[in-house]
Amino acid sequence: MEQTGNNETEALDDAASDPRASLRRGLTDEIKRLRRFSNRGLWALSLFLMVSTIAWRDFWFLPPAQEIVASLGAPPTPMVISLVLILYTFSAIILSLSRMMAGLRHSSSFCHVGYLLVFYLFYYFAEALPDNYWAVFGAGFTILCLESYRIWTFCSENILKKVAQLAYVERTGRLPVEDDSGLSD
Amino acid sequence: MFDKIAGRALVPVGIVVTGFLVVCFVLLYAAIKNVVIRDSVGHANNLAGIVLKSTRYAMMKSDGELNSTIIRNISEQKGVEHVRIFNKKGVVAFSSKPEEVNRQVDKKTEGCVVCHEKADAKTSVGNMQKARTFKNSAGTEVMAIMTPIYNEPECANAACHVHPASQKILGTLDIGLSREATLASLASIRMEMLIFSLLTLVLTIAGVITLLKMIVLVPMQKLQEYTERSERNSTLSHPTDLPYELDKIAKSYYFIRIKLNEIERQSAKTVDGVSACRNK
Repeated sequence: MEQTGNNETEALDDAASDPRASLRRGLTDEIKRLRRFSNRGLWALSLFLMVSTIAWRDFWFLPPAQEIVASLGAPPTPMVISLVLILYTFSAIILSLSRMMAGLRHSSSFCHVGYLLVFYLFYYFAEALPDNYWAVFGAGFTILCLESYRIWTFCSENILKKVAQLAYVERTGRLPVEDDSGLSD
Repeated sequence: MFDKIAGRALVPVGIVVTGFLVVCFVLLYAAIKNVVIRDSVGHANNLAGIVLKSTRYAMMKSDGELNSTIIRNISEQKGVEHVRIFNKKGVVAFSSKPEEVNRQVDKKTEGCVVCHEKADAKTSVGNMQKARTFKNSAGTEVMAIMTPIYNEPECANAACHVHPASQKILGTLDIGLSREATLASLASIRMEMLIFSLLTLVLTIAGVITLLKMIVLVPMQKLQEYTERSERNSTLSHPTDLPYELDKIAKSYYFIRIKLNEIERQSAKTVDGVSACRNK
């Protein structure tokens, strides 16, 4: 433990004394972070597939829909839920495409899984899940695939940029002029 | 695939159009299915009402034979799978299948439990609640309607009957209709919607590919060929046939290349001059 602390202190001292090492470390950390971030969409997609499997098995662990309706009140009609689902899908796709166009680093995949779970639950309470299961699944799969693609392309482009910066730092000991503002996007 | 402009541009378009079409297809089909089923339940309810009206006179007269004949004739109609009339105790009084007569039905079975869920049976239920679907012994998909036969002043006051005026329900009519026509209609609608969705998908993707190729990919290819050609040849020509912004890029490249060639020529002259001086 003490040795690790000493190593870190030494590394910090080295970094302070050698700006090239500091830049290299910063860029390498950023590349690692981007690599981890690029898998985020796939994790969200996997979680959604798990939620969909539970919905496919008709939420076996929940009490029957009639009991929940008796205690909470009547859910919206399937027609209303479907209209909201279309509106949500359309908005989510437009939002994702806009982020893709603007090149924003935004990680919203997991909240989509939450929204989709709510749709599954509402259909379950309205006893219309068998008829509308594939609609929610299709919406979720589309939105999360698009989000995964957006995150993945964003990360790939930035990793390429960071690798090029790293090579420049190795050659010259400083960042390229246009990217001197900082390491992270 | 993803390192080319075409791949990068087409993948999101493909995902978005396919996904949104699938969602709309499923939701629209579910809505149409609901409408078709609601209509067929309404139709079955009307039919049950007609049967009750047809048997009313025979019941008033307590004419069992006439009742049985009416029920047998109705059940011979195409699409009618069964017709039964239960008395208050749940015993089959009349049926299109003679072997069922006098058979007791459990009040907890599907179709009965809607009203007999609690000790005090419900006296009225909604149209959709009266309906139930199942597969009969012949393997036919059936939608059955259970309609209560209400007590009326004529029934309570009739000389041959013993129904007190306080008794609200005298029995129930159970009529089963084949769902084959409904299911066939739904299958036909599903197929038509599927074909329509596929055509829309193919047309959209084909349209996007064509426009992308025409407006972006082919001009890009020309620009790439132009730059490669000018790298090989020292004599440069003006870029031609390039649309929009690509034309400006090609012209900028052309002027940069000309300046670069000029600089190279001047530096070569300088080197030649220096070496000539040294030789002298």
